[in-house]
Amino acid sequence: MHVNGDPVATPAEADHGLRLLDYLRDHLGLTGAKEGCGMGECGSCTVIIDGRAITSCLVLVGQVLDAEIRTVEGLAAAGHGPLQDAFVARQAVQCGYCIPGVLNSCAALLDRDPDPTDAQICEALDGNLCRCTAYNRFYDAVHDAAAARHPNGAGA
Amino acid sequence: MTPATPTLLRPTDPADVSRLLAGARAVAGGTDLLVQRRAGAEMPTLVDLSGLAGTRPAVVRDDATGELTLSAVHPLTDIADGAARAFPALTAAIGQFASTTIRNRATIGGNLVTGSPAADTAPALLAAGAVVDIVTPDGARRTVDLADFLLGPRRVDLAVGEWVTSVRVPQPPAEGGFRKIGGRRAQAISFLNLAWQWHREPDGRLTGVRLAMGSVAPTVVRLRTAAAALEAQIPTQDVVDAAVAVIDADISPIDDLRASAHYRRRCARGLLREALLPPSPGERPDQYVTPTTREKNQ
Ligand SMILES: Cc1cc2nc3c(=O)[nH]c(=O)nc-3n(C[C@H](O)[C@H](O)[C@H](O)COP(=O)(O)OP(=O)(O)OC[C@H]3O[C@@H](n4cnc5c(N)ncnc54)[C@H](O)[C@@H]3O)c2cc1C
Ligand code: FES
Ligand code: FES
Repeated sequence: MHVNGDPVATPAEADHGLRLLDYLRDHLGLTGAKEGCGMGECGSCTVIIDGRAITSCLVLVGQVLDAEIRTVEGLAAAGHGPLQDAFVARQAVQCGYCIPGVLNSCAALLDRDPDPTDAQICEALDGNLCRCTAYNRFYDAVHDAAAARHPNGAGA
Repeated sequence: MTPATPTLLRPTDPADVSRLLAGARAVAGGTDLLVQRRAGAEMPTLVDLSGLAGTRPAVVRDDATGELTLSAVHPLTDIADGAARAFPALTAAIGQFASTTIRNRATIGGNLVTGSPAADTAPALLAAGAVVDIVTPDGARRTVDLADFLLGPRRVDLAVGEWVTSVRVPQPPAEGGFRKIGGRRAQAISFLNLAWQWHREPDGRLTGVRLAMGSVAPTVVRLRTAAAALEAQIPTQDVVDAAVAVIDADISPIDDLRASAHYRRRCARGLLREALLPPSPGERPDQYVTPTTREKNQ
């Protein structure tokens, strides 16, 4: 299992049935992923598994032993610092509880499509609930990040 | 209280699954099972089928017959990518399924085995005449029509120790689709859903009309009376009115926590009408994307 680019010790067999969310928080000390609902509805526990945004409350550790996992703690190292900067610049964060999950969904989208449309951003965020901010700030931040990451691209 | 941590077994060879399943339960995407577990369901040993996805492709098309074999253990995202143009009704159903994060995990196997009358992949598969490939505890195979596999709410034709390996459909026609009605656009269990497929002949007549609807009967059902009213017809306003008028014969909705029977009968007529005479883009109630600063200014 790799987390944020580094290999981590293989989880003990007795821990294979733990939720990935609990393993990240309690065993690896990565508390960025948050528990909201625990049932796949809210997206605050979203992490990136082999390039895809997935709710870590519905994944068991033993299911991802050979996977590349990325949490919000590893986003900047994966080249998504501009996305995080854009969220700050656009004031897209209020309480922040949803934000690690939102950022992971946006980062997985940007890795698939470097210059997404509003409709694509909407679809990428359809599993992330934010009760505070306005989603249009997320959209604006993603467009800014796309432009920053590809200054000569079509998205500028 | 959440039950104790389960033992998780992860076969990577399909031949090992039956042996491990003795006394255990299967888990694939976990998007139904782990929600039940959180609600208190005990499941001491789980056999993870998601690791089998690495052993085969998500979708295989038989070049000679056009038959599609859909893996029961791949995430829906992979099924939609693999089936894209070949199976428009299923691709549309996956597009309206839950959310991106859930589609990245949930499987067809899990969706069908839950036996929910609202399962969103079931109508497209039923309309297409799907068969379910099952591995029995002794490692043998049996195949059952999806129509016979779905027995009732939360009941399917799957014995203890059996598992679903794939679902096959004869080549679907080029025209097909899916619509659902739920409480909101994302993460919504369907109040009602409809899948359709047909051939459109050069003169505009529809042939091979097959319709299936969910949440209007104990299982997902074919709309045979309505389909018969459309067969070999050009879907003019009158023809559509006639098909919509007979839909009550095909469905037996009940009042439940999501919607009333009366509402479901009204929606059933509306969904069929929209499938046949789609609203033009200008009058679509679907403008859900609020334009952002960038697109407003374009
Ligand atoms: C937030 C959220 C939104 C949802 N939205 C929708 C929606 O829009 N539409 C919809 O239809 N459903 C929805 N669901 C329900 C669920 O996601 C689907 O039913 C999904 O397809 C289940 O697949 P899974 O692989 O996750 O199943 P799992 O949870 O892994 O398993 C479900 C059941 O099937 C059994 N099983 C799984 N695979 C096999 C197999 N190959 N052979 C034998 N038994 C098997 C398991 O033992 C278990 O009993 C939603 C769920 C959540 C949490
Ligand atoms: S905590 Fe996982 S989706 Fe809400
Ligand atoms: S910023 Fe508070 S939930 Fe999104």
